[in-house]
Amino acid sequence: MESIIDLKGEMSLLTVLVLHSTDMHAISAALEAKRQQASHFLERSPIIIDCQLLGETGLELDFLQLKLQVSKFGLVPVGLRNLWEEAEAKAIAADWALLRPSKQQTIPNTPPVTEVNLTPEQPEAIQRLLVLDRPVRSGQQVYCPYGDIVVLQHTSAGSELLAGGSVHVYGALRGRVLAGVQGDTQARIFCERLEAELIAIAGRYRLLDEIESNLKGQSVMIYLDQEKLKIVPI
Amino acid sequence: MSRIVVVTSGKGGVGKTTTSAAFATGLALKGYKTAVIDFDVGLRNLDLIMGCERRVVYDFINVISGEANIKQALIKDKRSDNLFILPASQTRDKDALTQEGVEKVLKDLAEDGFDFIICDSPAGIERGAALAMHFADDAIIVTNPEVSSVRDSDRILGLLQSRTLKAERGESIREHLLITRYSPTRVASGDMLAMEDILEILAVPLIGVIPESGSVLQASNSGVPVILDKESTAGQAYDDFVRRFLGETVPHRFLEVEKKGLFRRLFGG
Repeated sequence: MESIIDLKGEMSLLTVLVLHSTDMHAISAALEAKRQQASHFLERSPIIIDCQLLGETGLELDFLQLKLQVSKFGLVPVGLRNLWEEAEAKAIAADWALLRPSKQQTIPNTPPVTEVNLTPEQPEAIQRLLVLDRPVRSGQQVYCPYGDIVVLQHTSAGSELLAGGSVHVYGALRGRVLAGVQGDTQARIFCERLEAELIAIAGRYRLLDEIESNLKGQSVMIYLDQEKLKIVPI
Repeated sequence: MSRIVVVTSGKGGVGKTTTSAAFATGLALKGYKTAVIDFDVGLRNLDLIMGCERRVVYDFINVISGEANIKQALIKDKRSDNLFILPASQTRDKDALTQEGVEKVLKDLAEDGFDFIICDSPAGIERGAALAMHFADDAIIVTNPEVSSVRDSDRILGLLQSRTLKAERGESIREHLLITRYSPTRVASGDMLAMEDILEILAVPLIGVIPESGSVLQASNSGVPVILDKESTAGQAYDDFVRRFLGETVPHRFLEVEKKGLFRRLFGG
């Protein structure tokens, strides 16, 4: 029988809004300032609100207002995370979804650290293409949220490439590579020598630990066929 | 203008201090006024390997905190008039190192007319290592032929490209790869990564390969930089490395398994 729907657990990259204050006017003003900087970035973006930094002051949040304000700026609220336990009932009453806290968030005030920010700081214009002419080293993370990444050298084991679009590596691909991180299922990965640790397109991922040995070290293209990651030699 | 060179690796025990001592001594013997600074605050070793541990009065941290001036702290080497050692502190911890302090010491040395300043980095990627590389013009990346050392060197290369003053100014540090403890026999038997494999992973110009040699340990224990041991393969390889660093073209040696002569094959040995 043909199924009408599928429910799946999936890795997707979402923007997280970390609240430093419960003052709704301040939040609203800060959102407005962000919108001035980069209006396209916020438009229709699903967003998670992180309340880690608020601690028990999370109780003071006006959850209805929060939802309203966030939506007003064109964001689509997905849910709350790391909320003070006693405030949860209040949030649920305002129709918020509560997300399971992520493990790394148990240490307060530690946003994920990016070693190197190879993408430009000011997102005035959306970057469609990021070209790197040096090897991407172990521990480096390269993120191009709305475009393609082209690496003219190799990438090392322990490195990470994240692109909203496709990824091209003109050398050995040894680290992790995630294409279509905003959910673009058309995104593809191309590399001259496949030695990656992990590949992902639009949240569907695969570890290349026990990959078919005939493809290892080959020049390949990786794309999404329905729900499956296909690796083909080129 | 002094040229500042950091000797770094990420992983510990790969031969950074041995290399710093040999490198600084080699440069000094070739006539360049050279200072070598131990950045491993709290675990000083360089003075031992240089054989001057009994002559330490003031150290790097004393200079940074203004308790002594650079001239008082520098120890003149017994073997070369051009060589000076700035030892690390044994009693302080690495928080005593500050960027302003390091910058001032390097500036003082430059004003003193030093041609080369060698910064012997501690292992790891924390403060000491970060400050050792921060002001560098050149980096010698010391790697052993095994996977974890190569991985750590790769990480360090990433930091050299992003966390240094040169990187902040949009320039790049000159990177040189030095492979140490290389044993052609163990490469042939598959126990060690071959030089070609390391170059393939790191993609950095090779400046030297130092063969595994008992004379390195012997030299360390007796406080004589191994480059002064002209008989040993490691000493000769370090000398080649210094000459390459100074711009000479010197072919790489000690990369092949040594063939035993007929006599030794017949009678063993």
